This record gives sequence, structure tokens and C-alpha cells, in this order.
Amino acid sequence: MTVLAAEHISKTFGAEAAAAAGVQAVRDVAFTVEQGTFLAITGASGSGKSTVLHMLGGITRPTAGRVVLEGVDLAGLDDEQLALLRRRRIGFVFQRYNLLPELSLAENVALPLELDGKPRTACRSAALEALEQVGMSHRADHRPDSVSGGEQQRAAIARALVTKPAILLADEPTGALDSANSENVIALLSKLVLEDRQTVVLVTHDSTVADAATRVITMRDGQIASDETQAAATGVPSS
Amino acid sequence: MRLAHLLARQWAMRPGRALATVASVAVAVGAVVATWVAADASRSGYRRLTEAIEGAPSIEITSTEEGRFSIEELPSLGDIPGLRAIIPLFYRPTLLRVGEKRVREIAMGVDCKTLVGQGLLELTEGEPCLAPDEMVLDAGLASSLKLDVGDEVLLFARRGIKRMQVTGLAESASLATFSAGGGVVVEIAALSDMSSSLGLVDRVRVVLKPDASRSDVLAAISKRMPDTLSAAVPAGRASMAEDVLHAADLGLDFVTGLTVAMSWFIVVNAMLMNVTERRRGLALVRLLGGTARQLRQTVITEAAILGLFGAVVGAGLGLLAARPIAGGIAGALNAPLTEFTYDPVIVLVAMLMGPAVAIAAAWWPAREAGRVELLEGIAQAPPPPARGVSMRYLLGAISLWCLAGLILLAVLFELMPPRAAVPAGTITMLAFVGITPVVLPWVSSGLVRLVPSCWWIEARIAHEQIMRQPVRTALTTGVLVVAVSNGIGLGHAIQDNVDNVLGWYDGWMQADWLVVQAGALGAMPPQAGPDAAEIDEIAREIPGVAKVEAIGVATGRADGVACVVVARDLPAGESSLPLDVIDLDESSAREALERGEAFVGTALSQKTGIEPGDEISVEIYGRTTKVKVAALVVDFMSGGVAVHVSRETGRTQFGLNAIEVLLVTAEQGQAASLQAPLEELANEHGMLARSFAEMQSMIDRVVQGIVGSLKSILMLGFVVGSLGVANTVTMNVLEKTRTLGLLRSVGMTSGQVTRLVVIQSILLGAAGGAIGTFGGITTALFIQISSQPLLGYPVQMSLRPGLIALNMAAAMLVTAVAAWLPARRASRLDLLQAISAE
Ligand SMILES: Nc1ncnc2c1ncn2[C@@H]1O[C@H](COP(=O)(O)OP(=O)(O)O)[C@@H](O)[C@H]1O
Ligand SMILES: [Mg+2]
Repeated sequence: MTVLAAEHISKTFGAEAAAAAGVQAVRDVAFTVEQGTFLAITGASGSGKSTVLHMLGGITRPTAGRVVLEGVDLAGLDDEQLALLRRRRIGFVFQRYNLLPELSLAENVALPLELDGKPRTACRSAALEALEQVGMSHRADHRPDSVSGGEQQRAAIARALVTKPAILLADEPTGALDSANSENVIALLSKLVLEDRQTVVLVTHDSTVADAATRVITMRDGQIASDETQAAATGVPSS
Repeated sequence: MRLAHLLARQWAMRPGRALATVASVAVAVGAVVATWVAADASRSGYRRLTEAIEGAPSIEITSTEEGRFSIEELPSLGDIPGLRAIIPLFYRPTLLRVGEKRVREIAMGVDCKTLVGQGLLELTEGEPCLAPDEMVLDAGLASSLKLDVGDEVLLFARRGIKRMQVTGLAESASLATFSAGGGVVVEIAALSDMSSSLGLVDRVRVVLKPDASRSDVLAAISKRMPDTLSAAVPAGRASMAEDVLHAADLGLDFVTGLTVAMSWFIVVNAMLMNVTERRRGLALVRLLGGTARQLRQTVITEAAILGLFGAVVGAGLGLLAARPIAGGIAGALNAPLTEFTYDPVIVLVAMLMGPAVAIAAAWWPAREAGRVELLEGIAQAPPPPARGVSMRYLLGAISLWCLAGLILLAVLFELMPPRAAVPAGTITMLAFVGITPVVLPWVSSGLVRLVPSCWWIEARIAHEQIMRQPVRTALTTGVLVVAVSNGIGLGHAIQDNVDNVLGWYDGWMQADWLVVQAGALGAMPPQAGPDAAEIDEIAREIPGVAKVEAIGVATGRADGVACVVVARDLPAGESSLPLDVIDLDESSAREALERGEAFVGTALSQKTGIEPGDEISVEIYGRTTKVKVAALVVDFMSGGVAVHVSRETGRTQFGLNAIEVLLVTAEQGQAASLQAPLEELANEHGMLARSFAEMQSMIDRVVQGIVGSLKSILMLGFVVGSLGVANTVTMNVLEKTRTLGLLRSVGMTSGQVTRLVVIQSILLGAAGGAIGTFGGITTALFIQISSQPLLGYPVQMSLRPGLIALNMAAAMLVTAVAAWLPARRASRLDLLQAISAE
């Protein structure tokens, strides 16, 4: 089943007005993502990976082409509808500044549900469950600044999962982590794909991270350079 | 409220930020409460001042024809709100005989018992007169005639000589409300019967309640007047007080308006900072699926809570501050503050204002928060400064100026009341805030060159930071601009007006002694006044007298408007004229007076539409004469409603023989020795001798009292401005904690960081002061121009470098001190903590 489709999307920055003086960050990128896929988008820094991810997640709108999530064309939604879609169907994980420093890990994880108006207790138990899933339930009531970067990232993944989204989008989730913590986070994502058939799109410039994925799209200068399906990942990188 | 716990956590983690926001609301609400209460205290002080000068405020109804009118003609007025009493008055010139002494006096017929009962006429001794053969005497007159309660007096009336008994003595000041210089009070029916004029009155005096608006009541009464009667504010001293106080009242409105605007601006700024500082967090919430509406609700809920909290604190502080301020104002106005009262409405309004202003102020940042760029939530660096705003701000400011200019023109041409200038002035000032982001960068780069080279690095970075965030920094500077404009604008306006009034008195009264008529200005036919021609001749004979000037004054009507006629000769051979003649040189002015032409006060010209070259018909003592108007004059004594003529013209054209004021100049060193002979002369003629110094100090007291009250409120504005600036600067520095930590981490010493912040604040202080100076001068011009229709002439505006320097220095000092404390704290923060600060 196709969860997500990028239909010839392009993005040009800073040239809304006159001639194409702007930066063309992404050019005519097209691919579909089936459920249960662990897709890694790699490429050199500046090749347009993040921009693609932002368009997939409805954070920015493509200047050409369209993104279809679970049959819904994102271009047809206004900003508020996009917010609802992000809240319910998409989970995000970023490199840094992922968690609100004022809230505990459990509260951070519960936030998307609370925004959605779910009852307090339900939010709390769902948050604890998600933290359990990422192995962080013992730190539920800690503040983000009192746990390590790897643990923060796992909490961020729990927050992305708590709404049971159609797709989990991660932009360099290991970029700020040491190798042990990196492996941990990647293993967690692999496990989600394997055991829960969670669809994951991961952006990274690190090829060892990409090795864990079932499919790798490599970008160069805003375009797709290659798109390869790999042997099913083992879930835990062998190294 | 879904994000309530997020708010609560944010307050708990950053108490400083929440407190600063609460503080700004508290300062604003406190300022409004205190200014309001203080303005109320000033207004009631002004009213008491007016009463002291003219007696209880009143309106006079007279016949539009000449002479008396039947009381039957008077429509019923009792239901008009604000009336205290309606007093029919009947005047009769008489002769009193006490032993061998004969005194010309004006007998006044009133309903004495009722007036005493109402507290309008105060008796120092005895009882009110009731029977036709009873009278009450002015206490001063009685003592000069050596009369007491129970004594008998012979009164010469049309129906012969009447023996009367003195039943009481009236306090002179309270008599001044009704008397037209008279000191004898007789029952009205008895007096009119004596004159065979039963049922007729000379005028009806309508006394107002102390808090009534004279112009409103006058309008209501005028509407009911038949053609034969007209109602007006009594001319003379009363209208002087009225007009000067009108101008002071306008000043009060300006002070209040600007303070309120400044308070609002402080709150808006605090709210903006409070929200912008959290953009990253808000963007992240948005990224996670928070809708714009949810963010708006969060921001607005926060504003409401912090606003309410601030309002409670502020209203309390405001009331605490208001008591000593109101006391000080009352002291300055010589009107003792019997009890400290304030309108509970003030507190209620202020309480509502807190959250209302906070919410209104949060509206824009809330909208911005809803629209926050999603990527900001995950970006590593703060977003680049928005470009291309300059033109928009500039255009906005220019259109605001145009709007304000239009309002001002409308005020000048009397299409709008002077009060309309207050919002216009406020708009102008805010427009100066609007151009701040445009002007700030180049002001800053100019100023940064003045920083000593040993602090070059600090200064450079300080300047860079300003350049990177022109809008943000402009907000901080904006508070300074407002505060400095306020100080400079009002300071100039107040000082200019004072100089204007005092300068006029200095020019007008060049003498050592004044001999003046007791009581109010004469409205009676000349035979009632003291024997005119003699008194100045007698005074000239007194040894030690160098010069005597006699001035005749009478009240009358010019083209139907109540006016004062002043008959005076311009002293020959003096370098300057004692009159401020507009657009006419000295010798032409003298010639015009000699030709029998008149000068007309600016306010009178405004009211009648009379211009130089026109003829004006002046009615006094029931006689109408036309004179040609040679020029307009500025004149405070009569509030600008005077017609000035030479004494010769006064005598021949108006029958104005009486001398109301005698200006006596002594020979060198002889001033003191004149006291006894002048007092004797004054006594003989029912006049009062006053030393010029005494007179001067009386005027000074009145003027300084008004100035004092305006200045106390201005000081209050200054304190509020300083608090607002301090608060804004503190927030501005706290917000930079992270940047400062980064600078520390790359090797800046904590001293350097502190200096950086202080230099930056001084740059902002100086820039704000410079822009504020322009704003202030414009504001002063506004006040000047808008008071022109009130005063009838333009007040000269002069630049006051001292005042400007004072304001600039204060602005820079306040910002430097306000920046220094948080900067020191920030520079000593643990490095890691600083870097990890959100
Ligand atoms: N907001 C933006 N405005 C202008 N240019 C941008 C913006 N975001 C990204 N770019 C440009 O688009 C290109 C692709 O950026 P990005 O998608 O972040 O690359 P990657 O994530 O692969 O490093 C880069 O050249 C970058 O400079
Ligand atoms: Mg990237």
C-alpha cells in the first residue's frame, strides 16, 4: 500500500517575484513510499534532502509538483488543515531543539495528543506507552536537559510515534549524537519498521546510517541520483 | 486550555520574563491611575483657585437692551444640572452718611437670608438683613467707617433719606461673587422699592456647583434665554482665571494623554518581546501540529492572566503614589487637600484596562506567533532579520503625521475643539516611534564612532547587534523615544507658557505700588466711582513719587460679547510699550491711541470676529459707542477680552472717568516710604494699596501653582518612562543571554561582555534621546498651536537646550543602569548554562 507519493516536486527559494534568480534546492523529485518501508535519503550537505523532507511533512510547500499522503493532496489543504494533518498522521524527529525545555519528557511526548484535545489521563498513558516503546519510561518525569542527547532523541521518537502516524519523518536524527547513541537510535527505528510495520523516511548524510534502511535514495544537486532497494535490514547494524 | 501547563511551566522556568511582563502592565496601570487621580486633584485645585480669584464660579444674565429688566422675563432654569443658586441682583448707587462722613457706595439688593443660608454669603458677625430698614455691610468697609453691628447709618435714596441699622458684617471675598464694587447689602424688595423699581433687576447671577462645567451650563442657559436677555461668563478677573485655566487644563489633558499612550506602548512592547523571545518554542509546537488558533489562544490567555495580575498590582501602586502626588499638587496650588478621594471608577477602569491592554497588545504578536515560520523551530540559528520594512514604517509614520497635521489645522481654524489636539499629539509622537527602525541604524553608526577606541571591539559588536535586529531594537528605543518626547515636549510647553504669562506681567506692571479698587470691576455709572480726576493728581503730589499712571477699567459689551474696557495712557518717552501690540510699531500705536482708536484683546477678536481696521461697538454704562480698532493686543489681565483706549478716549467717548488702578512708581529708593501715604489715599477712596512685589508674588503663586501641578504629573510620567525603559532594556538583555554566553565561550571576558551591553544600551539611549528630542519639539509645537484658539494669540516657542540635555542625560543614564545589572548577571552565568539557554 502506498503511504506517501512525491509527484515531481521542486522547490525554488527566494524567487517568487521576478526571474529565476533564486536557489533551486530541489528539482523534479518523484518517488512513492510503501507502508513498512524504511527509506533513507542521503547525499552531500546542501543536496536538498531536508527540503524534500520538509515538503513531504507539509512544513513547506513545493513550488511545483505535489505531495500525496494517504491519498490526500497536501496542496489542497490550508495551513490549519496542514497543522491537523501533521498532528495526527505525521511524526517528526529532528537533529536538535526537538523538545520543549519547560516540559518533562512525558509531557513533551503527550503534547501532540493534548493539542488534539484528548483527555489528560489518556494522553499521559499513551505517552508512557510510547516512552516504554523506546525504552525511556524510567525517565518519563525528567526534564530534557537532565538526560543525554541520545535519550532526548529517543523521547523525540516516542513523541513522533505517540499519535500512531502514517509516516515518521526524521532529519539527521543522529547528527548530534556519538556513534553508540547513533546506533541505538537507528536500531530503534529499524525495530519499529520490522515489528510494527511503521513507515519511516530518514534523511542523513551518513552512509553507515543509511545502511540500516530497506531503500536508499541518493540526491545530488537537488535531484535524485540513485534509488536502490537493499536487502531487508537486519534491524541492528552488524558493526 | 490545552497549553496551560506549558504556560505555567514557562513562567516557573523563566520567572524573570513573566515578572517583567507583569511589571510593565503594573507600571502602565499604575501610571494611568496615578495620573488620573493627580489630574483630578489638579482640576479641583484649579477650581478652588478660580473661586479664590472670582468667588464661586457663576454665569451672569443681563438684558440685551440697556438697563434693568423685569424678573418675570427670566425663564425657569431650576432644572438645569450643576446650578447652585439663582440670584437676582439689584444695584443702586447711594450715599451713606455716618456721623459727618459721606461715602458714595453701591447698594446691592439681594435675598440676603437665603444667600447666607446657602453659604454663598458669609457673615463675619451678626445676622442677615430682613426688614426694609436693615443692612449688611462689607466687613472691610465697616471697619474703615468704624461701624459695627447695631450701629445706625443714613442712606440717601430716591425716596429720601432712610435711617438703617447694620445687622451684620459680610466677609469681603464672599461678597465679591455678587458685588459690583459695592459694599452695602439691603433686602432686594426693600431696595427696589426705595428706587421705585419694584420687580426689576439689574442682573441675575447664576452660581454653579463647584464641579459643574461652566461652558455646559452656559450653553444650557443660553438656549432658554428670550431675545431680551443674554447669558455670559462675567467679564473681568473671572474670565482671566477662566482662560488661563483653560490653557492649563489643556496642558493637563496633554500630560494625561501622553502618559496613557506611553503606558500602552510599554505594555505592547513587553508583550511583543515576551512572545518573540519564545518564537522557537512556538514554532516547534506549530510543527507538531498545533494550529495557529491554539497558539493565539495560548498567547492571549497568558496576556490576560499576566495583565490582570499586573493591573491589580499597578492599581494598588498607583493609588499609593497618587496620595502624595495629589497632596503635592494641592500644596502647589495653595488649595489644602482636605481629604484624599478618588473615583472608584478609576480603579475599576484601570483593573479592566490591564488585561484589556495586555490582550490588545498581545494580539499582534499572537497573530505573528500563529504565523511563525515552521522551520524556525528546527533551525540552528535565529532567523535572519526581516528586510524591506523600512519603507513601510516610513510611509506609516508619514501618513500618521499627515493625519495629525490635519487635525491640528482643524483645531487652528476652530473646526475642532482644542482638545482634539491631544490625540493628534499622541499620534505624532507614535509616528516618531514608527520611524525609529529607519533612523536607528545610521544614528547608531554615527554614535559608535564616539566610543573610545579602547572599547572598540565591544562597541563594534554592540553596533552589529543593533544593525542585525533593527525592528526589535527599535522597540526598545521606542520606549525611550516616547519617554523623552514626553519630557521635552511638555517641559517646553509648560515653560513657554509660564514665561509668556510672567513676561507679560513684567511688561505691564512696571511700578512699585498699585492702588486698586476693592471688590470686582466697576460696572456702575461713573458717578458711583471715586472722584476720578483727583486721585491721580493727589498721588502725584505725594513726596517721593516719580510717576503715576491711572488706569480706568469698566465692564461692558463689545459687539454683544462681555468685555473689559481699559482706559490708559501710554507713558511718553518710555522705551517699550506696556502693551503687547501685534503687528504695529510703537509710534504708530501711540498715534492710533491719540486718534481715539482702540486696541482689542486677541480673545475678544476671536470671539467677535473683529479685525484691525473694523469698527467695534462698545457698550458701557448703558451707552453704546463705536470705535475703530487699530490693532490686536495680547493681554492676560482680562483673559484677552479687553478693549484698550487712551484715557482721553475713555472719558469723552465712554464716560469712563473712574480710576480703577493706579500704578505708582517711586523715586529711587523711596518705594518703602510711600506705603503710609498711599494707604491713606486708598482708604479715603475705598481702594486698596498693594506693593508691586506683593502683587507679583500673588501672580507668581498662581502661575507657579499651576506649573507645579503640571510638573508633578510630568515627573510622574518621567518615572513611568524610566521604569518602562528599565524594564524593556532588562528584557532586551535577558533575551540575549545565549548570545552573550557564546561570546564568553569564544573568549570575551565578563567585563567585556558587561561593557558591550552597557555600550549598546547607551547607544540606544542616545539614539532614542535624539529621536525623542525631535518628537518632543514637535509635541511642544502641537501644544503651542492648539492652545492658540484658547488664548487667541500664538505663544512664542523657544528651544531650551538645558531641558533637552537633561532629558538626554536621563535617558542614557536610565538605560545604562537598567542594562548594567542584567548584563553583569548574564556575563557571570555558567557558560554551559548560557549556551544551552533556549
Ligand atoms: N530557507 C531557505 N532559503 C534559501 N535557500 C535555502 C533555504 N533552505 C535551504 N536552502 C538551500 O537549498 C539547498 C538545499 O538545502 P537543504 O535541503 O537544507 O540541504 P541538505 O539538507 O541536503 O543539506 C541548499 O543550497 C540551501 O542553501
Ligand atoms: Mg539538511
